[in-house]
Order: sequence, then C-alpha cells, then structure tokens
Amino acid sequence: MDPAEVEFLAEKEMVKIIPNFSLDKIYLIGGDLGPFNPGLPVEVPVWLALNLKQRQKCRIVPPEWMDTDKLEDIREQERKLDTFTPIPNPYYMELTKLLLNHAADNIPKADEIRTLVKDIWDTRMAKLRLSADSFISQQEAHAQLDNLTLMEINTTRSFLLDSLNYMYKLRSNLQPGRSKDY
Amino acid sequence: MFCEKSVELIRELHRMGDGQLPAFNEDGIRQVLEEMKALYEQNQTDVNEAKTEGKSELIPSIKFRHSCLLRNQRCIAAYLYDRLLRIRALRWEYGSVLPTNIRFHMCAEEMEWFNQYKKSLATYMRSIGGEEGLDITQDMKPPKSLYIEVRCLKDHGEFEIDDGTVILLKKNSQHFLPRWKCEQLIRQGVLEHVIS
Amino acid sequence: MDAQSYMPVPPGVGMEENFFSLDDILLSHERLPCRTESAFPRLGFLEKSSDSRDIPEGTKMEMPLWLAKGLYERKRRVLSVELPKVYREGWRTVFGADPTVVDLYKMGPYYYGLGSQMLHFESPENPEIANTILQTFIGRFRRTMDSSQNAYNEDTSALVERLDYLERSLFKAGQSGLNNFQLWEKGRSSHLTASSLVINYRKRKMTDLQA
Repeated sequence: MDPAEVEFLAEKEMVKIIPNFSLDKIYLIGGDLGPFNPGLPVEVPVWLALNLKQRQKCRIVPPEWMDTDKLEDIREQERKLDTFTPIPNPYYMELTKLLLNHAADNIPKADEIRTLVKDIWDTRMAKLRLSADSFISQQEAHAQLDNLTLMEINTTRSFLLDSLNYMYKLRSNLQPGRSKDY
Repeated sequence: MFCEKSVELIRELHRMGDGQLPAFNEDGIRQVLEEMKALYEQNQTDVNEAKTEGKSELIPSIKFRHSCLLRNQRCIAAYLYDRLLRIRALRWEYGSVLPTNIRFHMCAEEMEWFNQYKKSLATYMRSIGGEEGLDITQDMKPPKSLYIEVRCLKDHGEFEIDDGTVILLKKNSQHFLPRWKCEQLIRQGVLEHVIS
Repeated sequence: MDAQSYMPVPPGVGMEENFFSLDDILLSHERLPCRTESAFPRLGFLEKSSDSRDIPEGTKMEMPLWLAKGLYERKRRVLSVELPKVYREGWRTVFGADPTVVDLYKMGPYYYGLGSQMLHFESPENPEIANTILQTFIGRFRRTMDSSQNAYNEDTSALVERLDYLERSLFKAGQSGLNNFQLWEKGRSSHLTASSLVINYRKRKMTDLQA
C-alpha cells in the first residue's frame, strides 16, 4: 500500500468540530452528517473537518489522546515494555500529521505533540526491528503483531514478508523432497 | 557452448530492471531458433542411429543436446513473457496511445497483444460503475481535491476541459485544472503537479 | 515514488526455480566445475583445448548449472559435479565463525541461490551445506535490515557492496518501505509525478543522442 492510501483510510476517523455556520442534516452514502449549528460541537469524519477548516468554517477539537500528558505516559510505557503498548488510536501517526498540518492553531502545544508522537513512533519501529531480528534468529514460524498499527505494518510489510519467505525456503533446504508440501 | 545467444536475450531485459522495453531482438530470436533446429536435427540423426544400430553410447550426447533445446525454449518463452509484462505496464504508465518510439520497439504480434489488452481493459471499465463506466487507471492515489495546480513542461497544444472551455497548454504556463483531466498528462511528463 | 506497474516474475529461491524468472535463468547460467563420467560422442568441438571428435570420459570442464542439472541422474551417472569452493568445508568454517565479515557478492554473487541449487546433486555434505546457508542468512540478517532502514537519502552503494543478490533484494524492499513512509511524512505522498518509466526512457534517449 502507498502511505497515501493508509492516510485516506485514516480520514474516515471521526473528530469533533465546532462549526461557525448552520446547515441541516445532510444524507450521504457513508452516513448522515450534521446538523450544524454555530458554536455547537458535532462529530464529523476527518476529511470533512479538514475541508471545513481550510475554508475557515469550523474549529477542530483535538481528540482526547492528543494531549502532552497522555502522550508522555504512552512514551514512558512504550520505552519500558518489550511488547507493543496499545495505542489510543489505530491511526495516531496519520491523524497527528493531518491535524497538526492543517489545524495546528486549534491544538495546544502542537510542537510538543509532534515530537512526542515521533518519539513513540521511533521507539515502536526500533522494537519492530528488534523483534524481526529475534524472530529470524530463532527461526520462528509465526509472529503475533498485537497492537501494531496499519502504518507501522505497512512501512515494513514487504521487507518482513520477503525475509520470512526467504528463511522458509532456506529452511526447507534442510529437508529436501519436502520442500513442495506447503 | 550452446545457448549463449538465448541467455544474451535474457541479459538484455535484465539490464533494464525498471521495466523499459528494449527493441524486439528479432535477429537474436532467429539465431536461437536456428541453433535449436541444428540441435534437433543432429539429435534426430543420433536417435535413429542409436535405435537401428544399437549405438547406446550416443545417448549421453542426445541428452546433452536435449537439455540445450529445453534451455533455449525456456529462455525464449521467458523473454517473450517478460516483454508482455512490460507491455502491459505501458498501458498503465502511458495510457492507451503509446509514443511512436516505443511502438517501434514492439514486434507485430506484440502490437496485436497490446491492442487486445487495451480492448479488454476498456470493455471491463465500461462494464463497471454504472452507465458511464469507470476509468480505473485514474486516481491511482487517493485524491485530496478536485482541482490541482499544474505547470506545463512542454507545448502540448489545445486542451478541452469539462465545461467545454479550451485552454492552450503552452510551455511554462500554469493552470488550475480538474485533477482527473491532468493525471495522465502528469504521468506522461507533459504537466507537472505544483504543490503550494 | 509510485508503485511500479511492471512486476517481474520473482526468483524461486531455494531448490525450486521459477521457469519464467529472469533472475533464475541468470542464476542457472553460473558455471560449475564438472567431470564427465562417460564419453559424449560428436560434441568434441565444445572443448576448445582438444581437437578430438568426442568429449572423452574423465574430462574436466565447466558447465552451466542448467546443463549439469539436465544431465545429472542418479542411476546412470554421466557427470559428476564438484562443489564450488565457498560451499566446501573450509569456507563453511569461516561462515560458521562470523558470517558478517564475508563479502558475499564477491563470493557469490548468488550465494544462497546457487547453494540451494547445489543440493540437487546429492553430495554427502548436503545437510551441512543447507545448514550453513541458513545460518549465514540468519547471522547476516540484522546487518541487512539495519542498513536498509537507516540509509535513506545517503549513498547506499557501500552498504550494498558486500550483499549477495538475495540480500540486495531484501535491502531494496526495506528501503522502499522506508522511503515511501518518509515521503509521506514530508507531504510528498499525494504529489502526482511523472512515471519513472517515462523519465528513464527520456534519459536513455538523451544519452543515445549524445553518443
């Protein structure tokens, strides 16, 4: 997958906005949106939130987890544990980029958040490499990828799959004649 | 050694790992086929001798030539097949009309194959997405907006957009156009997508 | 960087070859030291050093892997195949000590591919060969992975230099995942670009014109 496609999927996540216009409920294939009233918070998909924001039609309310205290906790957890910590949103990386790029003025401590999320990402990717290596060196046959997000998997997918495939083939060499029965 | 010509065909493609289509090597193919004919005929002679005169000592050489025949067959089949994969990719990269210099690199049968592929893709695209059909070669990346800013990299002449207006694509001119109209021209290197 | 529309047939890796794979065809062109175990009548002209009509039994000659495979038979042996040096015991010991120090490109460049193919010839050393190849892959994996993950925007030729073809393809897979992600981070992911095929084609045309 191209990361642009992963981002596209992330744009379906819901986010709260405070509109400055009024509009009746609209009915779309993907679900109903609105009604919109000035000053009244309403949930919309990210793609719409960003579009309205760009046209200065709303203020975006940052998701609860997009908060320095909460993210610092997650960073600590992530650094302490060997396994992957559950992340508050499966699209944390994409949403951080989208919201900070287009609505930084609505998000308190935007720069700190950017750094924290990047730290979390880097820690997780380093962990992913570490576990890939131990996976290969212990010649495991399957791995559990609990709590990994789509963007994380997508970044190493072809590398990981190719490595496992090569190792499988080289392992089958040890029992010639049985290499065909998969 | 036998089969040097046929592996040369393979190397020719392998050198262009990015999928470019080198000129169809008619002469190379002809030479391989000639070698195969010679191998086959020599084997026919030896097989007959082995059968009628009981010369079983000929068998290793028969096997030798037979292996060479199979090798040449494999190389030619792989050469033709890999070229088809490249030609199929051209439809997606360039669109349905190929530049002349690329068409010159195809043999008549490959042209025919390309046209057939084009047709079945078009038939499929007409059959989906309701009345209008659906162009699945568009929006290869999720679109962010309906209109995009583009700059002309070369003179391309007149160009009609949805509402009927005709604009002149002149080198270095900049336009704000519907994304779906430009995508192909960007891929072909006529327009450049400008991000503000 | 966009997804390529041209996807070549991948190599088989291991003992099975892929019939249509260009990589496998070139791999099977690698030459092996052989000794004929019977005469090959009327093929003497292939042996440049002699002018006899036949290739006599006991001739030492190099043969491509595909031919050695084609002629090899357990029952009626017309050919014996020697193990290339890198797969013999001496080198196996070196690999066992520290696989990361070896220049596998120089020793290969199809170290894993050819090694797996050698298993077709039923040498008594096969189990050790298969094991060494696997352990070498495992032992070098960390380096292959780390170099592919940390090299964006740098000159990677030095990192790739000592990798064999199989490792190089892994390196490439790792790089393209990372590159695509970093392009996205910089906001270049939704940028529409000219097809790399078109660009490279134009470059070629330019050099052809200059030549």
